[in-house]
Amino acid sequence: MPLLKTPAITLKSRKWGEADRIVTFYTLRFGKLRGVARGARRIKSRFGSALEPFVQCDLNLFEKPNDTLHRVSQADIKETFPALREDLALMAGAARMANLVTAITPDADPAPKIFDTLVQGFRSLNEGHEPALTTLLFQIKLLGLTGFRPQTDHCAACGKDTQTLGAGSTGRFSALAGGLVCDPCVHRRSDRYLFLSPGSLAFLQQALRMTPEVLNRLKASGQVRSELELAIEAYVTCVAGKRLPPVDFLASC
Amino acid sequence: MAMDQQGLLARLIRELVRLPGIGQKTAQRLAFHILKTEQEEALRLADAIHAVKDGLTFCRQCRNIAEGDLCEFCLDPKRDSTKILVVEEPSTLYAIERSGGFRGLYHVLLGTLSPLDGVGPSDIRAQELADRLKAGGVQEVILATNPTIEGEATAIYLTRLIKPFGVKVSRIAYGIPVGMDIEYADEVTLIKSLEGRRDL
Ligand SMILES: [Zn+2]
Ligand SMILES: [Zn+2]
Repeated sequence: MPLLKTPAITLKSRKWGEADRIVTFYTLRFGKLRGVARGARRIKSRFGSALEPFVQCDLNLFEKPNDTLHRVSQADIKETFPALREDLALMAGAARMANLVTAITPDADPAPKIFDTLVQGFRSLNEGHEPALTTLLFQIKLLGLTGFRPQTDHCAACGKDTQTLGAGSTGRFSALAGGLVCDPCVHRRSDRYLFLSPGSLAFLQQALRMTPEVLNRLKASGQVRSELELAIEAYVTCVAGKRLPPVDFLASC
Repeated sequence: MAMDQQGLLARLIRELVRLPGIGQKTAQRLAFHILKTEQEEALRLADAIHAVKDGLTFCRQCRNIAEGDLCEFCLDPKRDSTKILVVEEPSTLYAIERSGGFRGLYHVLLGTLSPLDGVGPSDIRAQELADRLKAGGVQEVILATNPTIEGEATAIYLTRLIKPFGVKVSRIAYGIPVGMDIEYADEVTLIKSLEGRRDL
């Protein structure tokens, strides 16, 4: 049984059997993995709180041949984000980040940029950046890194580099097609379209270009904010194949 | 006939798989075990399930397991009804009861909020707790939800729910397990045990 060693973030953790947990990680070196942590729910568990959701740990896993479920042998806390455990809005934002990573990344496919983006996302929330905006920016960034990059410079349906999508004009965003759609395609297809004003388009393109470290410098409010929230929510639901718990879930409780 | 027999076994496996912590393989093992055991022994299990479902319900007041309308604690006049201790599941209640450290009443949520799974306040017995506070007579609510992300979310929500009633809210302290060396505690546990320190 080869031993895998990697920094990891816990995406979710489920009770299993008498006192065990099955934990889904996003790891720096191996991508998304699942492991069983024996005895993790006992008071004297050697894992302590290192396997709690939203905690970054140094993880040791035994890889089991022909099994996607590994065995967690050790986990030491590397970075915690205490505010995410103390505020329902921050918790819901972090939960959306973790849920989206769980839903749209393939198993065992390393992508260090996704790992960094997730760590940065949790840091931004923990530092007190506005949770809804931080979560929106994270989602745009993550989609851009996973092969679900929202198309903004080509028609997402036919691939044509259309002038009508150029600067200064309103775009029609199709969640089903995964981006802006050109005029002929709009008439041809029966998708539901969401309008993106020039301001929203510029913001979206900028967010896709920026590195995760500086992403939280972007600010959006009013029309740009609400257009993008609607479009990204519709798109995320499409690529995840299901409705994820809403970003403002628990915030209104 | 053979098809029919397979259908019956498959039905048992399907039912077993629905139990928490039981996967397909375990369910198959259990089903074959039941198939092989003596008639009388296997039916004792079925009887026990029957008896539990016929004889037990959830207490009207605290949602603990009860044989009648109210559970043994809500019926006991010697319990201190000014204090309510809130737990996620009945199993936690019985662990606290075994310790003998609490003489008040309980409230069982039968679940937790979960931001990751989208479980909200209407999915747990939170409103029932508010109703008990509205009825008056309660001076302190002690939250004993687990120190997990779900338990934290639930405690934050309940604190907000309870505060307007002007009732004292506290959370059980968590930190270093008894018998453990402090140097082996992880940093989240250490922070929590420092926060939960008390005057001597
Ligand atoms: Zn087109
Ligand atoms: Zn009761």
